[in-house]
Amino acid sequence: MIRTPVRAAALLAATLAMAAPAMAQTQVNVVGFGAGFVWADLFGPSGTEKTQKLLDFEKKEGITINMEFADEEVARQKVLLDLVNGTGNYDLVMLGSDGAVQTFSAAGYLEPLDGHLDSAKDYFDASKVYKPFLEANTVDGKLWALPYYSFGAGVVYRKDIFDKYGITEFPKTTEGLETALQTIKDGLAKDGVTDVYPLTMRGAPGEEPTLDLAGFVYAYAGYPAWFEGGADTPAAIKEKKAKPIFTGDFKPGFDTFVRWAKTFGPPGIATHTWVDMMNLYAQGKAVVLMPSAINAFAGIPGSNVPEVKEHSAFAPSPTGPSGKAVQSFWTFSIGVSNFSKDKDAAYKALAFMTSESAMNAFAEQIGWPYTTYPSIMHGPVLTAKWPKTMLDQIEASFTDADPHYFPYIPELTEFMNQVGTAASEAIAGTKTEDQALSDLQGWAEERMDRAGYYK
Amino acid sequence: MTAADEPKGPLSVRLARGLFTLFALAFVLLPIAWLALGSLKTRNEALALPPQLFFTPSFEAYTAIVSKGFLGAFGNSLTIALTNVVLTLLLGTPAAFALARMSGKVQDNLSFWVISIRMAPLFSVILPLYVLFKGLGLLDTKIAVSLAHLTLTLPLAVWMLLTYFRSIPEELDQAAMLDGASHLQILTKIVVPIARPMLASVAIVVFIFSWNEFLLAFILTARGAQTVPVAVASLAGTMSFDWPLIAAVSICSMIPALIFVGFAQRHIVAGLASGAVK
Amino acid sequence: MLDWRFWFVAPMVLALGIVVLFPSGYLVWMSLTHWLVTDPNVYFDGIGNFRVLFRSAEFSSAIGVTAIYLVASTAAMLAFSLGLALAFRSPRTPGALRSIVIMPLVIPPVVAGFTWRFLMNGEMGFIGAFLLPEIGIRTNMLADPTGAMISIVIADVWSRAPFMFLIFLAALQSIPRDYYEAIRLDGANRLQEFLHVTLPMIRPAIVVALLFRVIDALNTFELIYVMTKGGPGRATQTLSLFGWKTAFQNFDFGLAAALGVVMVVVTTVCASIVYRRFLRAPA
Repeated sequence: MIRTPVRAAALLAATLAMAAPAMAQTQVNVVGFGAGFVWADLFGPSGTEKTQKLLDFEKKEGITINMEFADEEVARQKVLLDLVNGTGNYDLVMLGSDGAVQTFSAAGYLEPLDGHLDSAKDYFDASKVYKPFLEANTVDGKLWALPYYSFGAGVVYRKDIFDKYGITEFPKTTEGLETALQTIKDGLAKDGVTDVYPLTMRGAPGEEPTLDLAGFVYAYAGYPAWFEGGADTPAAIKEKKAKPIFTGDFKPGFDTFVRWAKTFGPPGIATHTWVDMMNLYAQGKAVVLMPSAINAFAGIPGSNVPEVKEHSAFAPSPTGPSGKAVQSFWTFSIGVSNFSKDKDAAYKALAFMTSESAMNAFAEQIGWPYTTYPSIMHGPVLTAKWPKTMLDQIEASFTDADPHYFPYIPELTEFMNQVGTAASEAIAGTKTEDQALSDLQGWAEERMDRAGYYK
Repeated sequence: MTAADEPKGPLSVRLARGLFTLFALAFVLLPIAWLALGSLKTRNEALALPPQLFFTPSFEAYTAIVSKGFLGAFGNSLTIALTNVVLTLLLGTPAAFALARMSGKVQDNLSFWVISIRMAPLFSVILPLYVLFKGLGLLDTKIAVSLAHLTLTLPLAVWMLLTYFRSIPEELDQAAMLDGASHLQILTKIVVPIARPMLASVAIVVFIFSWNEFLLAFILTARGAQTVPVAVASLAGTMSFDWPLIAAVSICSMIPALIFVGFAQRHIVAGLASGAVK
Repeated sequence: MLDWRFWFVAPMVLALGIVVLFPSGYLVWMSLTHWLVTDPNVYFDGIGNFRVLFRSAEFSSAIGVTAIYLVASTAAMLAFSLGLALAFRSPRTPGALRSIVIMPLVIPPVVAGFTWRFLMNGEMGFIGAFLLPEIGIRTNMLADPTGAMISIVIADVWSRAPFMFLIFLAALQSIPRDYYEAIRLDGANRLQEFLHVTLPMIRPAIVVALLFRVIDALNTFELIYVMTKGGPGRATQTLSLFGWKTAFQNFDFGLAAALGVVMVVVTTVCASIVYRRFLRAPA
């Protein structure tokens, strides 16, 4: 037992001294989410042990890669704190193309990668990946991050149920799909099936549904209808003093998303995220999953409902009244922190972690029909697993996509959040569609004003 | 002695008490049973409705805890929580004793200040705390978490101990003083031995609070200092929904605290009892 | 003169001072600063953040939600834990029973949130999709604005009531038996016993429990975030969730700090009233 406060203080001081962090030497620190899921070829199925492949790289290049895995949501906060304070603890940071790339590049937290591209071509050669994934990470003419797993839009549906209700071909337009969903809904009701829903999407408050909802807006308006004239960069918005148009051209797509979610979706959709979407589909409780089809592919392998495994089919995302397809496009990417002490080493590690070999290992491990390299899309791993027509259709969803189907402004994260929450409110019925949109409009005008766009 | 009520009483009272007890047990146990069953099922069994009560238990999730390296998180949580207990008691015991022997405005203001420490919402102090520990060079250390946890645990400990110490008659101090003891000796030789059950219950409560805390632990640490709640959260955030593993880690996360509580449930109540009424 | 008491208190004050005073000062500075990650200009902005905050519709909606959550969950928790303490007060209550009801105390709120979310899920959860429909309740608990709030209150009571229960149990056990014997001799019935002996005797414990509870409730984040993310829409978005989103999703540190300051001031004023009125040590 410690007898005196003096000794207690001494002990405290001693503990503090012992706990000082071990200083890093020439190390590259990474934070990400999905232990055992991403980079299993480097960090093993636990995310904690280094594989021979990684050790070889470290030996050859003299770089030690330290990986930290965490929960997605909070990992982002950690990255944010690190960047805001210029700590430089993390040399490589994960970035979504749905806000983080736009915000952090504008804030000066990231290192532009264009100048590095030639330095590690053996690992990452920009000419070998699908262009749109690089475009998605390009802001203001500069490349800020390299893509890891990424996806385009699409539909996964239960062919057996479509057949049962006499729909032999998957509709090519949103109008046709709405009719088909109604037919299925009526059919299910007539057959007394109450726990299977025609459609599963996500409607939780926050940014998640916006990725899909923005795709509906794009398909209905024919352009990213967030600001007048489709202005989608800070410069364009400032130049034309373009106001938000959430009550204008944004509305038809928004209304459709909400109507479909309400009419055809599961009752809990207003709080559903991708997890619920995936589980519902995997449990055979949903007929159509769209437009982020990848969430169905995430669920199918673990399903124990035979019909889900045998009768799931892929279809290209339907086109809206404008003739453009419903979008859903995202890349999980990694960028180099501007506060990194050795940006060249950091880039080299990044190039290695997004290399063809890393993506091929990911394809082997996870097996989804999605990848960033055409060579892997048509390579032995995926072609052995999936029909060629499906792979071609998925490839088309990358190459035909418009990665900038929402505006690329620093405030994007905030907008994504507000839009998704407005949708959740409309779906849950706490506000009407009109009310939700007019509140959104009011908020957006004030926010843009505050950011000094209309000076 | 204490404990006024007999379990008898009129039939209606006994019936109401019985029904309420049943309801409470069902309410408390349902989620725990759900977790326990879930940890022994496969992913699909866990999602099946109506729930399968009879199934072949699978211990895969528990072996996965070891194979996927979650034991480290348990070690971290244990270190952080125990350091926190030691710090809290070391700082809190003398302070509470001194406060108990004060009177008037100073005591009043100090006690209120200590209790009100927790009033700033976490979201608003995370960034300042991060800046602080960065400045101190303590970022990514377990000691930083233990220090941050003091803001949660010290007020609790001081409040529990303060009321308890007040119940120890001051005549005891005075008698010791006459024998030439210093205040320090009074604290260590007389007060602490008397207060041992109370200190034990404070230690347990503090341990539990620190063990459960998620956010500070997460923000202030990096690789290798992940705690159990953080590990659980990171499981649920990956691209597969491994409910059995989440459940298994959760069940295991209860064990250390449960051992303490099981051993010392009576002590906690006794300790709180002596503190609560004054 | 500095007497021994000073030296006993000083280490604690110093430790808390480091972890509390600096962040508090920093917080106040942030609240007066225009500091948005999306805007490279960081400058002193006076009360600008507060003006934005008080005009914001989200702020007023969050106040309403917080008030409902605070009152509903505190009332439910108080009733449940007091009932439990009364039912379990007898020394003859098996220790195992008590140990069972305090088990949720050792489950981190994050885990509690996940578990209840899964249980309440309207399509696949045991309660939401099986138990409730069986008894005729077809509302989807998590997606219905009222249902979501009820679900959160239930999970919250489950997770935090045990601590309150322990405080009450302790208080009940230290009521001297003579008090009851005396009032029984006067022919009082059970209700009168409760009102005239039990309640007055445990009043300080109730006040302390409420004090800790209110501070706790204003800080609740993980449980709600995990269960509903504040949804559907903003139906369960409390001040603490709103602040969280403002700081870490919208990157508006100045605005979040302003909210933090407002919350600290309001809580401190309320708590100090409660403290001075009910808790201050007898002089």
